[in-house]
Amino acid sequence: MTKNNGILSLENIFKIYKMDGISVKALNGVTLTVKKGEFVSIVGPSGSGKSTLMHIIGCLDIPTSGKVTLEHHEISRLSENSLAKIRNKKIGFVFQQFNLLARTSALENVSLPLFYNGTTDSDIREKAKKALETVDLGDRLEHHPNQLSGGQQQRVAIARALVTDPAIILADEPTGNLDSKSGLEIMGVLKQLHKQGRTVVVVTHDSKIASQAQRTIKLGDGRIVN
Amino acid sequence: MPIRQLIKISIKALQTNKSRSLLTALGVIIGVASVILLISVGSGLKGYITNQMQDMGSNLIMVMPGDIDLDDVSMGGSAMSSAFSSMATSKLKLSDAHEIEKGILQIQDAVAMVMASSPARYEGESVLVQIIGTTENYINIREPEFAKGSFFVESEVNSGRKVAVLGHKVAEDLFGEKDSIGEKVKLGEYRYLIMGVMEEKGGQGSMSPDDKVFVPITTAQRQFNQDNISIIFAQVKSSDEVSSTVSLVEGVLKRRLKEEDFTVLDQKEILSTVSSILDTLTVALGGIAAISLLVGGIGIMNIMLVSVTERTHEIGLRKALGATPEVILTQFLIEAVFLSVGGGIIGIVLGSGGSLILNMFMPTTVTLWSVILAFVVSATVGIVFGIAPARKASQLSPIEALRYE
Repeated sequence: MTKNNGILSLENIFKIYKMDGISVKALNGVTLTVKKGEFVSIVGPSGSGKSTLMHIIGCLDIPTSGKVTLEHHEISRLSENSLAKIRNKKIGFVFQQFNLLARTSALENVSLPLFYNGTTDSDIREKAKKALETVDLGDRLEHHPNQLSGGQQQRVAIARALVTDPAIILADEPTGNLDSKSGLEIMGVLKQLHKQGRTVVVVTHDSKIASQAQRTIKLGDGRIVN
Repeated sequence: MPIRQLIKISIKALQTNKSRSLLTALGVIIGVASVILLISVGSGLKGYITNQMQDMGSNLIMVMPGDIDLDDVSMGGSAMSSAFSSMATSKLKLSDAHEIEKGILQIQDAVAMVMASSPARYEGESVLVQIIGTTENYINIREPEFAKGSFFVESEVNSGRKVAVLGHKVAEDLFGEKDSIGEKVKLGEYRYLIMGVMEEKGGQGSMSPDDKVFVPITTAQRQFNQDNISIIFAQVKSSDEVSSTVSLVEGVLKRRLKEEDFTVLDQKEILSTVSSILDTLTVALGGIAAISLLVGGIGIMNIMLVSVTERTHEIGLRKALGATPEVILTQFLIEAVFLSVGGGIIGIVLGSGGSLILNMFMPTTVTLWSVILAFVVSATVGIVFGIAPARKASQLSPIEALRYE
C-alpha cells in the first residue's frame, strides 16, 4: 500500500472504548489511504466500527493508537481546539439527518462554517451563494428547511460541506433519510463533485450505495475485510 | 472567531425563540423595574422632606423640651416619641423665647408655639384641626402668603384676643366659597374672630399650614390651660453663626431653667438625621427588590440549562463545523448576558415609567445611581448565571451531541 501520496492516510488505527471495565475494540488495526480526488465508500454492517472510523477521519475523535495524516499533517494527537479548526477547514460533513438549523434560511445554514473562521460578511454571502448554486439551489437561498424537500435539504447540507473548500467531503449515510429517488439524486450530486476533482468519502451500510463509488472499503469487526 | 460574528449568532439564536427569550428576561425585567421604582420612592421621600424642612426657612434653630438624643432617633426612634411626650411636661415659658430674642444679638426672631387639637365649628360644619398658638413674628420665619386678610399683630398677642388665622383647607372645609373674614369660628368652647386665610401651600403632615388654625399664643395658653410652650423656633441672622448661636441659646436656657430639660437643634443637624433615616429606608427597599433580581438571574440560568439540553444537537453540529469549546462558551454567555442586559434595559424603562406614574400620587425621584446600579447588576447576573450553562454546552462531546435526539 502506498503510504504518503494520499490526501488522507490511516496507519494501524486502534480505538478501544472502556465500558464498565470491559475493553471494547471498535477499531482493530485499520490501515487505509485515500488519494486526492478519489471517491471512496466505506461499507459495513452496524457494529463493524464504521461510525468510529468516520469520527476519526472526520477529526471528531482521536484514535487510541495509530497515526492519522491529513494533507501531510499528523492529526492523531491534536487538542480539541486544533481538531475543531481542522474540522472547519479540511472536512465537509454531510449527515444522515441533514442537521440543518431550523427557522434559519438555506443561505445562513450554508454560511455557518464560515462564521467560525473569520470570513468577512460580504465573502460569507458570496461563498454561500456560490455553494448553493453548485448544488442547483440558487433559487432557494431564503427558504427555511421546513420549506424544502428532503433531497433539497440534503443538498443544502452538501453546499454547507462545500463552502469552506475542504480537503475531504465526508458523508455519513447521506441517503439514509431519503426515498430512493432523492437518494439517487444526492448520489448524483456527490458523483458530480467527484468529477469536479473533489475527494469524497461516503460511509454507509448499504452496498448498493457503496458500489457507486470508485473504490469500496469493506469493514467488519473493526478491520478492513476486502 | 470575531466577537461580532458571535454576537450575531447569539442574537439569531434568541430571535428564533422570541417568546421564550422574553419570558426568560421577565425575571430580570421585574427585578430591575422594582429596584428602580422602590429606590425612586425612597429618594423621592427624602427629597420631599428635605424640601419641606428647607421651606421652614434657613438658619433655623429649634428649642424643644426634654433631652433628646438625635443619634438615638436615627437608630431606633424610641426617642422620637419621648420627644413628643415631653412637650406636655415642658418647662419652657413664653418669656424664655422673649429672652432668647432680646438677649442674643445673633438671633433675628424667636417664635414660641403651643400646639393643641380641637374641633372647629361653623354653622353646623365641624372639622378637627390643629391649633397653633404663636406670636406675631411667626410670619417672619415661615413667610406665609395670605389669600385674604392678615396675621395677628403684637398687641393682639399681648392682650390675648380671640382672633384666628385659618389654613387654606380649614377655611375651605368650614366656609366653602363663602367669605370667612369677620365671621366667628368656634374652637372648643370659645368663639374666635377670623382675620385671615392663608394661601394653599400643599403637602401634608406637620409641615403644612393648610389644615391648621393659628391663634395668639397667650389666648391658646389660657384656653388650653397651658403655662408653658411646646417649641421655640429661632432664626439666626447669619448662617455662619448658627452653631455658635446654638451654644448661646443653651447658655441662656441653662441659666433660666436651672436644669438641662431641653434640647437645642439646628436645622442642618435635623436634616442630616432625617436623611440618614431615609437613606437606610431606601437601601432596605432597594435590597428587597434586589432579591427579586437574584431570582430573575436564577431564572435565566434555569432556562439556559434547559436550552443547552434542548439544543444539544445544534451544539454538536456547530462543533462538527468547527466551533471550538471557547466559541460555544462565549456564544451561550453572550446569549445569557443579552437576556439579562436586555431585560435590564426594559426594566429600567418600565421602572422609570412606573415611577413617573406613581409621582402623580407621591413624591418619587429616579436617581442616576439606581439606574447605573440596576444595569451593572443585571449584566453581572447574566455573566454569573450564564457561566454554568455555557460551560455545560462547551464541554459537550460533538459525537455524543450529534447522536442526541
